[in-house]
Amino acid sequence: MVKTQLLVVGGGPAGLCGAIEASRRGVETLIVDEGVELGGQLVKQTHKFFGHEGFYASVRGFEIAKRLKDQLNEHVKIMLQTTVTGIYEDVVVLYDRQNDVPLEVQADYILLATGASERFIQFENNHLPGVYGAGAVQTLMNQFMVLPGRRFLMVGSGNIGLIVSYQLLQAGAEVAAIVEIADRIGGYDVHLRKIKRFGIPVLLRHTIKKALGQEKVSGAIVVQVDENFQPIEGTEKEFAVDAICIATGLVPSVELAAMANVKIEYVPELGGFVPYRDQNMRTNVENIFIAGDLAGIEEATTAMIEGRIAGLTIAQSITKANLSREIESLQRELIEFRSGPFSEKVRRGLAKFFPQRVVEYSREPQVDSGPVGKLRPIIECYENIPCNPCQTSCPTGAIVVGGNINSLPKIDYEKCTGCGICVSKCPGLAIFMVQENVEPGFDLVIVPYEMLPVPEEGERVIALDRDGKQVCEAQVIRIVRFPHKTNLVHLKVPAGYATRVRNFRVKKQENVFVCKCEEVTLEDIEKAIDLGFTDYEELRRYLRIGMGMCGGRTCRSLVLSILSRKLGKSPEELLKGHFRPPVMPTKFESILRGESNED
Amino acid sequence: MSRIFEHPILMRRSARTVRFYFEGKELEAVEGETVAAALIANGIDVFGETERGKPRGFFCAIGKCSSCLMIVDGEPNVRVCITPVKEGMKVQRQFGRSGVPW
Repeated sequence: MVKTQLLVVGGGPAGLCGAIEASRRGVETLIVDEGVELGGQLVKQTHKFFGHEGFYASVRGFEIAKRLKDQLNEHVKIMLQTTVTGIYEDVVVLYDRQNDVPLEVQADYILLATGASERFIQFENNHLPGVYGAGAVQTLMNQFMVLPGRRFLMVGSGNIGLIVSYQLLQAGAEVAAIVEIADRIGGYDVHLRKIKRFGIPVLLRHTIKKALGQEKVSGAIVVQVDENFQPIEGTEKEFAVDAICIATGLVPSVELAAMANVKIEYVPELGGFVPYRDQNMRTNVENIFIAGDLAGIEEATTAMIEGRIAGLTIAQSITKANLSREIESLQRELIEFRSGPFSEKVRRGLAKFFPQRVVEYSREPQVDSGPVGKLRPIIECYENIPCNPCQTSCPTGAIVVGGNINSLPKIDYEKCTGCGICVSKCPGLAIFMVQENVEPGFDLVIVPYEMLPVPEEGERVIALDRDGKQVCEAQVIRIVRFPHKTNLVHLKVPAGYATRVRNFRVKKQENVFVCKCEEVTLEDIEKAIDLGFTDYEELRRYLRIGMGMCGGRTCRSLVLSILSRKLGKSPEELLKGHFRPPVMPTKFESILRGESNED
Repeated sequence: MSRIFEHPILMRRSARTVRFYFEGKELEAVEGETVAAALIANGIDVFGETERGKPRGFFCAIGKCSSCLMIVDGEPNVRVCITPVKEGMKVQRQFGRSGVPW
């Protein structure tokens, strides 16, 4: 039997924050988690968080997990790979999987932060390997760096669907399409824009009908739905994919709460069945608290705040210290976070437990796009989401979100010095820099870029617009790298394109070979000619073209025709290059043997 | 399916490898990863079959859905998505609830 003042079930953002606050006040805390490491689902989040800097805005999720773990002190004990199998009136039973033994724990207080599981949906062959939860794919690719497919279909366009689609691109996979059964996108507009810039099709009013394949997924049939979400016959489309990601929502993991006699209520706005709790995260059972997705599906920032409120309230009950100021300040944070339009549903759900309040925010968007010709940021953030790193990172105070972080950012171009820090900090990658007429006939566009390959300075790339459509060629003139890995790529684009270009694609290494022996491509030769190699012999020395085993039989005439085309000279005007023995490769050994025969 | 060696944000945590056995065949895994990750990296996505003979793979990867049950070192019903792979570990496909007593 182990005794502890506080048992925290689940070491994700909510559980960790609860443990941090309680242990900081001397509460003996035991964290139990099923996984192989602490951090819960933070460890697989590679995107930068929204919110404000007090709650790690602009920090990537897996980095937040590290920072939280570092805040645990000597009052905290941790058991990983351990399952809480049941909560009884007098005891909590754990199962330590590593040692294959059960263990009994008596805790004065319990904080349940068990999170949620993926919402499964019904379609034909949904049992096939290759049908994966979007979070599962994220675990595999971002925690273990393994890709469970090459080409994915994403089902669901909430934030998870959008984020995982973007992360699949980062991992080098393809996303065939995102399908969404509703008539609008579920997630943040800035997340949508990130994937649209790469040309990923988003099909609204569509859903998956069937997974194809015998042993595993080899494709998917997608179908359009009517206003009652019923499939419209004859609108089926087939996608050749080897994996299907289900991102249709999460279901709170309420099992342990229910066993502990916590009242479970059906609140669809919070994800279905959720435990009752008050504003301090206390349930109807005096010493049992909940936090995070278990208390209602939301996101990691609110999970962290809820965890802190629970930890503080527990610490207050145990130590009798007055922590009401800290608790109330965090409750105000939650109210502010939840004041925006995206939290409307959560507010409606929580209103069933206690009255909800909102604080006003500004819906007024930026109207002007600044003085033409000045190097300046363009903020494409048009939706009221709780986020303000653009304001807090601006060294000159030019960007203002205002008192409520759900307000839209406004920029004062008089104050802006064009430093670009906001571009690199914006978690939504929604800020770009532009400058018209940076040189005659050319504009400058600076885009945030988090993909591979990173182009080289001087490289010519294909410029894309907001929908991922090719608009012109651009030249990379500078790349500013940051430790947080959001690179700023400076693109020189033809005049007039600064308002359109928002992304680019590195030109693919095309497999058009001119010389197979030495593997020289058309692109290599054209680049070399552009560099000033204008003669067959020069190209031969520079690229080894014509120096392979065939002796140039295959490539000589091709190279001459490319030279002729690029230089605008007729083939007769070009030097054909020298012909030297041996015309076919001959072994040195044989040549030497010939010499010895002469003796 | 495949390992990610280059990533714009992430770095590989460990380059140390361990050997384990899948259906008697020796395979390589990266130290610290789960059995499920190691299998997928080796191109194995069918982890077993249901009672009625349907192929089964992982689904949630965080220990919640029990879709990834396999026989590990003779023990059935192991959730391989939250079980770290170990040197010499023997992993087998599970058919239904398996014939192994537990």
